[in-house]
Amino acid sequence: MNVIELDRLEVRLGGRTVLEGLSGQLRGNAIGLLGPNGAGKSTLIHTLLGFYTPSRGAARVFGIDTRQGRVRIRQRIGYMPENDSFIGNMSGVRFVRYMAELAGLPAADALERAHEALFYVGLGEVRYRKINTYSLGMKQLIKLAQALAHGPQLLILDEPTNGLDPVARQRMIQTLQEIRKQGSIHLLISSHLLRDIDDTCDEVLILKQGRIAALCNIEAERRSHRNFIELEALGAIDLFCDAVRALGCECASFPGGRVKLIMPDAIEPRDLYRVAHENGVQIRRMDSRRDSLEDIFLRAMDAVPERRELVGI
Amino acid sequence: MSVYRHEYRAYAGRLTSPLARVGVLTRYAYAEAWSSRITTALSVVALLPPVVYLVAIYLANNPVARLVILSRKNSLISIDASFFMTVLSSQCWLALVLTAWVAPRLVSFDIGDNALPILLSHPISRFGYVAGKFIALFSFLSFITWIPSIGLFAYQAYSSPVPWAGSHLRIGMGLLAGSLVWIVVLTLLGLALSSWVKWRVVATGVIFAAIFVPAGIGGIASAILRTKWGLLMNVPVMMTQLWQRMLGAPQIMLRDLTLPAGAIGAVLLLLCALSLAMLNARIRAREVVRG
Repeated sequence: MNVIELDRLEVRLGGRTVLEGLSGQLRGNAIGLLGPNGAGKSTLIHTLLGFYTPSRGAARVFGIDTRQGRVRIRQRIGYMPENDSFIGNMSGVRFVRYMAELAGLPAADALERAHEALFYVGLGEVRYRKINTYSLGMKQLIKLAQALAHGPQLLILDEPTNGLDPVARQRMIQTLQEIRKQGSIHLLISSHLLRDIDDTCDEVLILKQGRIAALCNIEAERRSHRNFIELEALGAIDLFCDAVRALGCECASFPGGRVKLIMPDAIEPRDLYRVAHENGVQIRRMDSRRDSLEDIFLRAMDAVPERRELVGI
Repeated sequence: MSVYRHEYRAYAGRLTSPLARVGVLTRYAYAEAWSSRITTALSVVALLPPVVYLVAIYLANNPVARLVILSRKNSLISIDASFFMTVLSSQCWLALVLTAWVAPRLVSFDIGDNALPILLSHPISRFGYVAGKFIALFSFLSFITWIPSIGLFAYQAYSSPVPWAGSHLRIGMGLLAGSLVWIVVLTLLGLALSSWVKWRVVATGVIFAAIFVPAGIGGIASAILRTKWGLLMNVPVMMTQLWQRMLGAPQIMLRDLTLPAGAIGAVLLLLCALSLAMLNARIRAREVVRG
């Protein structure tokens, strides 16, 4: 079953079209939501939660339409907002229990699961402290705990590593990887940080100016793309390019002796050295890398959607 | 197994009904209200007048006790519509004091800490959220307004040597209706104003101001324009006139200054509608985090 299904989704806010014609099916265990500021990531999340009503088209979560089944969808979702959002004068365990009860758990079960969720995210030792005494990292984790406590099927995380130091970030990423590995919860992670998405997600939806710029399986995309090589060389660059093209590479030369190549899997870097030697070319620098999420993102950003005006959230 | 050994597991137990979740909001709102000692102190103070009224009813209906305690002042206490008008007035104005203290505690924390996006991302609607808080404050105010008032009415009916309740049923109905109208207005107004003010102390002041400042402005307008309609901004005067009519108590204001019941009702309805619109606008604006 599709986790999220978008069918020509359009959302208008304040007379402006923020999301336009989004269509696609997201099935991954962990879905990354990427895009620059104003791309519509938060609007999409709020639409899935039922805060915004689509002006056209539809969005479905686990097959339930966001217009008609808002309560049923929220029952199955755990949401961790980007900004601080909690009741500061409550203790951690009381807050998580409160949220679990609101999600429909009986009081006793909610209390038990609040303790479990807090230990699970690593706040077990501070669960009786008031939330407004927590550090920024702890506040992020308490939001994660409340999103997990009622056992959702889809966990929506809006910038989960926002403001975290490297250690806390690593801890958050590990927790998300554990959740993904455990397999009973789907993740939808919105982030500006490509590395976070790279570390945690297997599918990515990239938004640009309210439209889908890319929707792909990260691993499959990596496999389908070939090796990129960037060279700096001295000598007969044009001859060298002709020779490497003859090997089956795609090649482009730039001023200053810079050359970019896309190599088929059968070609090795040592073949390039051989061709360079044969053409009297000195290779001064060579960078080789597989296609990364960054490349996928940058390619998506280069493909300008047909849109007259820039939209903002 | 200890909780700290548990791995994450999905929840497979039963779920409560959507109505029960409104009850969760009410329960936590109660806990929040009662976490302050000032709430306890104010509640005790609000229940002291009914004790005095209870003694008064006892003395009025017990000639022996009246003679012993009040010596020759036999006709000092008369249990009638005016007596219950005093009961209703005192309890309703104490309810205003309690509203000014309790209402901000129910809403301001959620607004101040930006908790609404998380609260409303759960399977509960804006209406459910407001209903939960409304029930908490409404029931809280009930304990100091119509419940003790009806209790005193019932005690008077029980202790009167002559059949009393049947001939004074209007008083009982007036106590109930007058209290309910007032606490509905107070609850909505208290929640609406609290939702727009981040700081609780300021919210308390704003609730008092919302009742008494327009009263002053209305009084000035009435004096300058030589009209009684300025009194429609004077909630204390409007409510007093409404309660007097409901209980059948004698009017204390000049006939020229008496407002039509329809006009009073319309103003109160307008006040409630305005409060609901304010609540809706505020909660709708705060239900999503704007990063």
